[in-house]
Amino acid sequence: MNRRVYLDHNASTPVHPEVVAEMLPYFSDVYGNPSSVHGFGRDARAAVDAARDRVAAFLRVRPEELVFTSGGTESDNFGVKGLALARGSGHVITSRVEHHAVLRSAQALEAQGFTVTYLPVDQYGMVDPDDVRRALRPDTIAISIMHANSEVGTIQPVRAIGALARDAGVPFHVDAVQTFGKVEVDVHAMNIDALSFSSHKIYGPKGIAGLYIRRGTKMVSIQHGGEHERRRRAGTENVPGIVGLGKAVEIRARDMKAEAERVSALRDRMWEGIRARVPDVRLNGHPTERLPGTANVCYRNVESESIVLGLDLKGIAVSAGSACTAGSVEPSHVLVAMGVPLDWAMGAVRSSLGRSTTTEDVDFVVASVTEVVSRIRQAMPVGAA
Amino acid sequence: MRYSPTLVDHFLNPRNAGLMRDADGSGSDEYAGCGDLTRFYLKMRAGCLAEARFQAYGCGPTIAAASVATELVAGRAVEDLLVLKAQEIEDALDGLPEDRKHAAEVAAGAMRAAALDALRRRPGNREA
Ligand SMILES: Cc1ncc(COP(=O)(O)O)c(C=O)c1O
Repeated sequence: MNRRVYLDHNASTPVHPEVVAEMLPYFSDVYGNPSSVHGFGRDARAAVDAARDRVAAFLRVRPEELVFTSGGTESDNFGVKGLALARGSGHVITSRVEHHAVLRSAQALEAQGFTVTYLPVDQYGMVDPDDVRRALRPDTIAISIMHANSEVGTIQPVRAIGALARDAGVPFHVDAVQTFGKVEVDVHAMNIDALSFSSHKIYGPKGIAGLYIRRGTKMVSIQHGGEHERRRRAGTENVPGIVGLGKAVEIRARDMKAEAERVSALRDRMWEGIRARVPDVRLNGHPTERLPGTANVCYRNVESESIVLGLDLKGIAVSAGSACTAGSVEPSHVLVAMGVPLDWAMGAVRSSLGRSTTTEDVDFVVASVTEVVSRIRQAMPVGAA
Repeated sequence: MRYSPTLVDHFLNPRNAGLMRDADGSGSDEYAGCGDLTRFYLKMRAGCLAEARFQAYGCGPTIAAASVATELVAGRAVEDLLVLKAQEIEDALDGLPEDRKHAAEVAAGAMRAAALDALRRRPGNREA
């Protein structure tokens, strides 16, 4: 079989075998509804409680401050809309480089009469805490800034922003979907009131995630129904998913640090390799404040999708930084916000490394990228952009 | 794979890629929607295409469409190139997904432009 290399861990990850093993009994043996009072239900409830305890211990928060949701998207919707709607009206601060789950939630709030400030970022994709300070108004009711950006990997100064939010008495939501279980997240030191986290980015199953809500934070539900999750999120719990998330978190607590170092070294090796062999390239994102495994590289005057196709044909999975849908290309909103010129932004390719990535993988990718990009450039019109 | 083996082959092994300095005609077309750009250079002999080369910027299908077009139209009379249709290029690629049809359109448009240029520059043409 041909070599296959998966470098799209920011999109999703394979479920860890230990996680799969832990989940399996909860499909066919322990299948009761956690809300049921009988033994079957109690067994399921015990599993949900145990998983919640594991996640709470990892985040160093109280178990009752955690709400399980169906994914990072729901957590972001809940975090942003839940804080805003609980306050009825007012002003929300976020940034231009948020995930669409936050950006579109903010837009939905605008449609309901809230006002929203979308803060700019610098060339590295970083929000300036001073901009947050300047954007604060008497009617500001929520701040939502992501921890790390999924496209370029830049880690935001959430500690400084959290301090500002706390001083101003404004609740602070952080989308930590890309950092949870990868780098240190400290909701206390960072003064975070609501934190979105997810399972399938850290070798857990898809369809399960969570929102930490600091005790005492005023918040409304966005999904209504039964009394689940202390009446904050209705719906029968995804028991196998919650069990899997709990196990995934436990493994991350054990492996996170060593893996971050290993993956970061591989990422550097890859970028150094590409930079040495391919002309007209640039690495996007902050040079030091960044996710360990993410490398977003622009190939000037080459179209991302042709590189992604060329690599796919070699068995390498990466993702394009610009998307051509129905004949119109949209460069990434993140790269646009960073001021990356169009002739570069159109050629952005994101690689995100993970626990299975090896040195051989990285060297194969470097050789493949070199070949694919030079072949495409041979056919390139002079001065095209 | 959403692309045909023929398309993939032309993407991986582009035929006649690159600049032609002494072309008898050249022309390009672009697709504003996504910045795709294709340019052809034609060498004519006795009113027929002797050699074509292309340069293309765009997604995989755009590069493949330009490549296949250079083979498709080999030997044709310049007048025939003036009416080249996108469908013919698409057929030569064994089809294109709905959202990539523009790849063939850009290639056809560029080929027609190059043919028109060759016709204008033909010795004996008063405009030349
Ligand atoms: C930063 C960030 N937030 C939110 C999400 C949404 O997560 P999901 O697609 O699992 O709902 C993602 C997923 O890519 C992400 O990277």
